[in-house]
Amino acid sequence: MAPVLVLWLAVSLSGTWAVDKGNFKTCDQSSFCKRQRALKPGESPYRALLETMELTNTRLTLQLINDNNKVRLLLELYRLQGNITRVKINELKPLKLRYEVPDVLIRDPPTEPLSLLSQDENGVVLSLGAESQRVIVSARPFRLDIMEGREVLMSLNSRGLLAFEHLRMRKDTFSYKVTSTVASVWDNIKRVFSSSQADPEAEKKEETDPAKQAETAKEEEEKVEDGMWEETFKSHSDSKPNGPSAVSLDFSLPGVEHVYGIPEHADTLRLKTTENGDPYRLYNLDVFQYELYNPMALYGAVPVMLAHNAQRTTGIFWLNAAETWVDISSNTAGKTVFGKMLDYVQGSSETPQTDVRWISESGIIDVFIMLGPTPKDVFAQYASLTGTQAFPPLAAVGYHQCRWNYNDQEDVTSVDAGFDEHDIPYDYIWLDIEHTDGKRYFTWDPHKFASPKEMLQGLMDKKRKMVAIVDPHIKVDTNYKIHNEIRSRSFYIKNKDGGDYEGWCWPGSAGYPDFTRADMRDWWASMFAYDQYEGSMENLYTWNDMNEPSVFNGPEVTMHKDALHGAWEHRDVHNLYGFYVQMATAEGLIQRSGGVERPFVLTRAFFAGSQRYGAVWTGDNAAEWDHLKVSIPMCLSLGLVGISFCGADVGGFFKSPSTELLVRWYQTGAYQPFFRAHAHLDTPRREPWLFGPENTALIREAVRQRYTLLPYWYQQFYHAHRTGQPIMRPLWVEYPEDPATFALDDEFLIGRDLLVHPVTEEGARGVTAYLPGKDEVWFDVHTFQKHNGAQNLYIPVTISSIPVFQRGGSIIPRKIRVRRSSSCMMHDPYTLYVALNPQRTAEGELYIDDGHTFNYEKEFIHRRLSFANNLLSSVNLAPDAQFSTRSWIERIVILGASKPSKVILKTDDGQESQLEFDFDSSMSVLTLRKPGMNAGVDWNVMLQ
Amino acid sequence: MFETGVSGFLSSDMRLHISLTFIITITASCGTADSRKIRGISPSYKRFYRERKSFLCIDGSKMIPFEQVNDDYCDCEDGSDEPGTSACPRGRFYCTNLSFRPHYIPSSRVNDGICDCCDASDEYNSHARCQNTCWNLGQRERAYVEGQMRTLDEGLQLKQQLIEEGVLLWREKQAQLRELQQVAEDLQIKLEEHRRKKHEAERLREQTLKALGAGDSSVRRENGSSTFNFLDSNKDGSLTVEEVQAKVALVHDEERLLSEDEAVALLGGGRLMDLTLFQHTLWDVLTKADSVKIRGSLDAAGRVVAEDLEASDGEWEATNQKKVEEAYDTVNMEISDLRKKLTIDYGPDWEFLFLNSQCYKLKVYEYTYTLCPFNQVTQRSTAGADVSLGRWGMWAGTPHNQYSQMVYESGEPCWQGGSRSTTVTLTCGTETALRSVREPSKCQYIMDFQTPVACQPVLKQRGIHSEL
Repeated sequence: MAPVLVLWLAVSLSGTWAVDKGNFKTCDQSSFCKRQRALKPGESPYRALLETMELTNTRLTLQLINDNNKVRLLLELYRLQGNITRVKINELKPLKLRYEVPDVLIRDPPTEPLSLLSQDENGVVLSLGAESQRVIVSARPFRLDIMEGREVLMSLNSRGLLAFEHLRMRKDTFSYKVTSTVASVWDNIKRVFSSSQADPEAEKKEETDPAKQAETAKEEEEKVEDGMWEETFKSHSDSKPNGPSAVSLDFSLPGVEHVYGIPEHADTLRLKTTENGDPYRLYNLDVFQYELYNPMALYGAVPVMLAHNAQRTTGIFWLNAAETWVDISSNTAGKTVFGKMLDYVQGSSETPQTDVRWISESGIIDVFIMLGPTPKDVFAQYASLTGTQAFPPLAAVGYHQCRWNYNDQEDVTSVDAGFDEHDIPYDYIWLDIEHTDGKRYFTWDPHKFASPKEMLQGLMDKKRKMVAIVDPHIKVDTNYKIHNEIRSRSFYIKNKDGGDYEGWCWPGSAGYPDFTRADMRDWWASMFAYDQYEGSMENLYTWNDMNEPSVFNGPEVTMHKDALHGAWEHRDVHNLYGFYVQMATAEGLIQRSGGVERPFVLTRAFFAGSQRYGAVWTGDNAAEWDHLKVSIPMCLSLGLVGISFCGADVGGFFKSPSTELLVRWYQTGAYQPFFRAHAHLDTPRREPWLFGPENTALIREAVRQRYTLLPYWYQQFYHAHRTGQPIMRPLWVEYPEDPATFALDDEFLIGRDLLVHPVTEEGARGVTAYLPGKDEVWFDVHTFQKHNGAQNLYIPVTISSIPVFQRGGSIIPRKIRVRRSSSCMMHDPYTLYVALNPQRTAEGELYIDDGHTFNYEKEFIHRRLSFANNLLSSVNLAPDAQFSTRSWIERIVILGASKPSKVILKTDDGQESQLEFDFDSSMSVLTLRKPGMNAGVDWNVMLQ
Repeated sequence: MFETGVSGFLSSDMRLHISLTFIITITASCGTADSRKIRGISPSYKRFYRERKSFLCIDGSKMIPFEQVNDDYCDCEDGSDEPGTSACPRGRFYCTNLSFRPHYIPSSRVNDGICDCCDASDEYNSHARCQNTCWNLGQRERAYVEGQMRTLDEGLQLKQQLIEEGVLLWREKQAQLRELQQVAEDLQIKLEEHRRKKHEAERLREQTLKALGAGDSSVRRENGSSTFNFLDSNKDGSLTVEEVQAKVALVHDEERLLSEDEAVALLGGGRLMDLTLFQHTLWDVLTKADSVKIRGSLDAAGRVVAEDLEASDGEWEATNQKKVEEAYDTVNMEISDLRKKLTIDYGPDWEFLFLNSQCYKLKVYEYTYTLCPFNQVTQRSTAGADVSLGRWGMWAGTPHNQYSQMVYESGEPCWQGGSRSTTVTLTCGTETALRSVREPSKCQYIMDFQTPVACQPVLKQRGIHSEL
């Protein structure tokens, strides 16, 4: 390791096992945040100039003026298809263009007509189409209220915190003085002055007329504060050539006490108020040993917040890729029950309200207000803007074995053999940075990985796959092809002086390709071609780490904000970098197969829309019980904003887990979308069989449970891909009217039908799970015991327990022949678990495709399974789709059934046969033996 | 528990239909319809699967119709009804593997598209194109086993030699120890003699010191009698010229012996001086100490340091004693060293003893590893210095053979706490050499060390398949 890195690590490692908070800015240390946060609610200087209003079929435009400095803004308001309102605010005439985030929206969102309902000197009222929804634009001060009927759903600038730092010339520069003087002449005709007069004289005039100068300054109320034109943090200086450029806007949510989203934070699912600390920060950072339960920024940022109450769910999507802070306050937060009661007695029953304020360092205000009204509507609305979860290859939904690092090919072979020896399935084995030749990505260590194709072929023979890391920092080394090509094409990000930006990362000095450039991304994608990426094969996939980007010697361990991406500063695009890296990489994997194979790419940094390119994980966590617990709210929060393919390092990355923690983590991870074990280089080995036969058996069982449920998981991914609904869901998403579910984040749903309450307490003897649904029942998937909904259920647990419940009324397909890998189970038969609700009905689906290609767009089986009136049937949901399967139905297990006298199977060819069955009267479980029909055909089974 | 009865017949018709197509498929590949029934069963289990009306799960838990054996549906909890299919989660499939070793695979590997049995019997209904590789494998295995056997035989012979050498070496070391112990004993006697002498001298010195008075403060109050006694070497009650010359010196030139005249002058012109005269003459001169003083003292008269008392014979005695002490320590160190080495467990026949003074090297990528058995393990990078990967700890093999593994502990500290350690696995080979080094986890090294002394006669049982 190079000395600087060693020093960095030494500093980081010394002392306690916790983040060095001093390495990262607080709001106070981020000048725009400090400046904006200092503004107090109250009088907004902004006024809508109604006379400038223009209403076309697709949009309304209107100018806003800041009465303090006379700077005009342009408001654009759109009604988008699917109950979304878009509000854009930019400077009317900015000094130079301000950054608008490209590539995140999947298309120009289709609009719907807006119509004017009424107008007077105080404002205008526009109809938002359906459901008596209106937008009221108030003129003085400017404010927007979105109403439904007589109810305010959301208000913008209701607290008057709209702030838009217009671009300006720097006052102490020569050109500024000229411009400002000329401007003041223009404004004040009494001062006869000609623009043709010599510049020096203008300067002289300024100097000789300090009173006038002071007056001008007062008029514009432009205090030049520290940090507007230059800012330093620790030893790093940010040159800020464009000066202040922050934007900010507040939103009021009447009737709302619960807000969620804005990942990534290591915090509870329900967002907390931020009045007594820093706002939640969105700025992609490589945070070494992050701490839990605080609003500090982490590796990824999705500026989307959901607001929920028992009546309605709405969402705010703040499309800005610069550093962003989100303040949350509430009029009920902090009030005790007694306080609330007092309000009631005193008749001051103020509606609960949550106020949110977004502050970004640059760019424009471009906000999408998703009006629900149901959680599913909000997910669909957000998906219509940024797209849905990429549909991964089935294998990626299996178990992943990772470690920093598997040392050489022999090591890979022996770990692979270990899984067979201990009969534990897995699909992917991973290689971290040490597999490369000196941290040069796209290469292999010539000694340790001398014949990668041989290794990959060995895995392929077992129907398994591999992931190798490809990070975006590129070693500056003229003997390295990738570096030379990027340099010769001038694809590197530039520093403020125009040279290639260089930072310190794993390889030592490294350049950072400008992934915001489409031509750069195309080139990058082409590097994954089999003839470019030597040693790669079709079962090699990719992991993008360090793409915040991580710069060891940069400010806050990331890139200098004044680095340049063409015309734009890094400041403008920072949170997009990781998004683009994953986009380009996924595109590369698609292209190498001629567009046939689905890619699988894991990323650490992400932004809105990253769901389209693969999976994310929660970064470098630690082997601690609290880190296990927080994996649930962290992935739930990501799911709410479209990123369903989420997981945490099983076992914890830093430190070494106790055996109990490791086992519990496997049990939890087995029920989270992305299931990967990972470990730091300095930790002892922890492959599943290293902790004695009993623990091996416990881990094996957890992984096997995952594999039996793969058909259900895969179906959830299919739905996430089709609709944007999260896979791992907070309970309130399915039970939006039940306030008892609103803050739950120690349990969750997979899809609608499985409820999981993992054991995340050390030495636990039991857990209390809330089973939702007043008229529902839940079946313990292990014992088939039935429990009523709408209750807190105490479940005694042992070390082997994973409390999981199937919802009464659902049908879940499983494959219970767990094999070495998911591919080995391709043709296996299904067992259907039919859990009856009190009405003795149930519904479910069966989705089958080839598991790895894009042919799923046309070739798949999608069937509805339903049980009613003692008849279980399979109906084709996609008659136009073509696919045939060898899989058949080997068993049907009906939970909550009563004993039939006979069971008759009728297949599509008209054949009838009687099925054998077994009835367990103690648990009311009916098992139909070997019905045997093909999984892709119509059939029904009648209980008589 | 299973509901059979009238309903069962209808469904079995249906199943017959399915089974027929199934059987046809199999017939094509395997020849006989019967093979379905016996597939996946070892000869010793065949007795459980004799064609009857019904089949009792081997664990006795359930009785099923015999048609349900190997019908690709799991009926028995113990998986015994489906030895030939993948239907049972806990089942196992018997690969007959003619011309190679038969063995069991988990049922989950039947028809999974991967060839597991070398006779291809596990993939009877899959797309995998499995070749029967048993004969080749058998050849290879036999060659390997033969090789192993040769190695083992040779290794065992070598081991016998090494055992014999070990016994000799052990005796040699024992003899060496006894020799050293003898030397130590002799040295100890000598040392005790010296100590006795020294003790005597010290006693004398203390007496004198007492006589000279107890320390500085009393010096000036003293009337001169003890100084007189000190100067009066022959204790005859009078000072002579010789006595003065021996113990009195010039303040500014202590080295020079006083001349006879000078001594005579100090004695007041006579050749003898008694105590009374001394107290009135020379005592005054000495206490002023501006011209003469008692030899070896720094300031006032009467301050006599120990060296003066021990004089010449004491000095010689001291250096001699030091040498003896040093020799004694060295010998003792050698003894404890040897004892420590001899307390190490070198195996039942001292067969590992010969490794004691040896070191073995292996270069892996950029590192050179050195194993010095029963001593230490080190690593040297092409650039850097030696890093300790542990010092001899203990044997850590299996209870069955504890000499199959060594552990070296407490090497150089690690980045994240703890220290480097090395586990050395000993395997049978015809020569003694370090075969491989790995570092599966940071700071935890694993070495494969080959040596004839690791050869165990039990190895001969390898390759013989025992059925469970």
